[in-house]
Amino acid sequence: MPDAIEARQLDVGYGGRQTAVKVLTGLDLTVAAGSFLSILGPSGCGKSTLLRVVADLLDPLGGTISVLGETPHTVRSRRDVGFVFQDSTLLPWRTVRDNVRLPLGVGQRSLTRKIEDRSTELLELMGLGGLGERLPHQLSGGQRQRVAIARALLGEPKLLLMDEPFGALDEITRDRLNDELLALWRRTSTTILFVTHSIAEAAYLGERVIVLAANPGRVVKDLDMRPFKQEGNRCKREDPAIVAAMADLRAALERAS
Amino acid sequence: MRQAPLSPQMTVALPVLGAASILLAWQYLLPLLGVPAYIVPTPTAIFGVFQRNFALLMDNLRPTLIEALAGFVIGNLAAVLLAVLFVHSRVLQAAYFPIVLFFNTIPILALSPIIILIFGLGMTPKIVIAAVICFFPTLVNMIRGLDSASDNEHELFRVLSATRSEIFWSLRLPRALPMLFSSLRIASATAVIGAIVGEWIGSDKGLGALIIQATFNYQSDRLYAAIVLSSSLSIALFCIVVLIERRVIRY
Repeated sequence: MPDAIEARQLDVGYGGRQTAVKVLTGLDLTVAAGSFLSILGPSGCGKSTLLRVVADLLDPLGGTISVLGETPHTVRSRRDVGFVFQDSTLLPWRTVRDNVRLPLGVGQRSLTRKIEDRSTELLELMGLGGLGERLPHQLSGGQRQRVAIARALLGEPKLLLMDEPFGALDEITRDRLNDELLALWRRTSTTILFVTHSIAEAAYLGERVIVLAANPGRVVKDLDMRPFKQEGNRCKREDPAIVAAMADLRAALERAS
Repeated sequence: MRQAPLSPQMTVALPVLGAASILLAWQYLLPLLGVPAYIVPTPTAIFGVFQRNFALLMDNLRPTLIEALAGFVIGNLAAVLLAVLFVHSRVLQAAYFPIVLFFNTIPILALSPIIILIFGLGMTPKIVIAAVICFFPTLVNMIRGLDSASDNEHELFRVLSATRSEIFWSLRLPRALPMLFSSLRIASATAVIGAIVGEWIGSDKGLGALIIQATFNYQSDRLYAAIVLSSSLSIALFCIVVLIERRVIRY
């Protein structure tokens, strides 16, 4: 099975090739298929930019990147990638169910496989069973993010990119959604790239955590969390080994800022 | 200190009471102050015109209604179509939007004689004037509305490999609807203004013509009745737009 992501000497920036402001420079990164990678880093280090390159929303300026063994464009066209944004990006005029079903209504032309309407199953799975006919403004922040995750999962993506999805939520809701996300990941073989500002969240969720530094964006810490966790990426937040790993990550983040 | 909100009964009753107090003052106070009836007739005198000359008023309402409605539909439809063209072609927008802007700076009263010269004295020039007056606010609002989807929303559709037409129907158009309806609400009043202005300049039919005839004949009660009818026409169009808006936009 090919790696989920393999980037070599990746340069990424905004603007034209000549005048671009580089956000990531010479990035080397390999992410194994089926793994859960947390990405930490100070603002402007290129965490979200990296997700955008993987999702084929942004072309790299240099270097190479393969996603699931192919180009990001091919993978996006095949709908093998799902994206969850920080703001849930629900369409306010569509009901919860119709938001989840959005991938059935658009982009089908480029698709070779058939996507089943699993909206009912996904709404149940995300604890939104009775809320299908509500409009987004009638939901709490946590419920809205659950809808966004259900929508991203409808196409059964092999790769799920999450850009600070729980950043705007209160701590209790965030913890609950962390557990739900881990349960979901264990049940599927989806690779998850999870960008966050929270060290605790990154350590709790990731099998592996990388810390990016800014100016230029590069990996300054690559921590394998599996030795600190039990099978299935299970751990307790207050476990001393996890707390020690968090301190390690904090030190790296401070150096990176 | 913030005032306590009004009860639902008071929210309905107060505007009714407010209007009634003004009508009462108008009916009894103005004659006492010596304001002559040929300048400001009393509400009962205006109401009397509706009883005596109902057929005349309706005969003149009909062409204005048709012109305003046709102008409303044609002007807004043209604006929506041009906005769609502009947001899909930045080149066209850059080339022609300044010309449309310039066109909009010409006062409608200055433009109306030209339109009448081109289209003659029938209903067509009035419809064109009503359409022109509706066109610009809808065009500007629609361009803004079609461009109002966030970067994340566009990225979501790109991740889903949506086509341009899917992005238009599933994202741009629904995003633009609140702005479209706010300009339609404005257009519901301006379409009537356009039709009446057209009738002032070259017509013997319609509320505009009736206003001009009543003014020159010192029939101020008939003049005021025509004004009330014009205003009622705008309000009716406005209410229809609001009703449709409430059905279409539920969020």
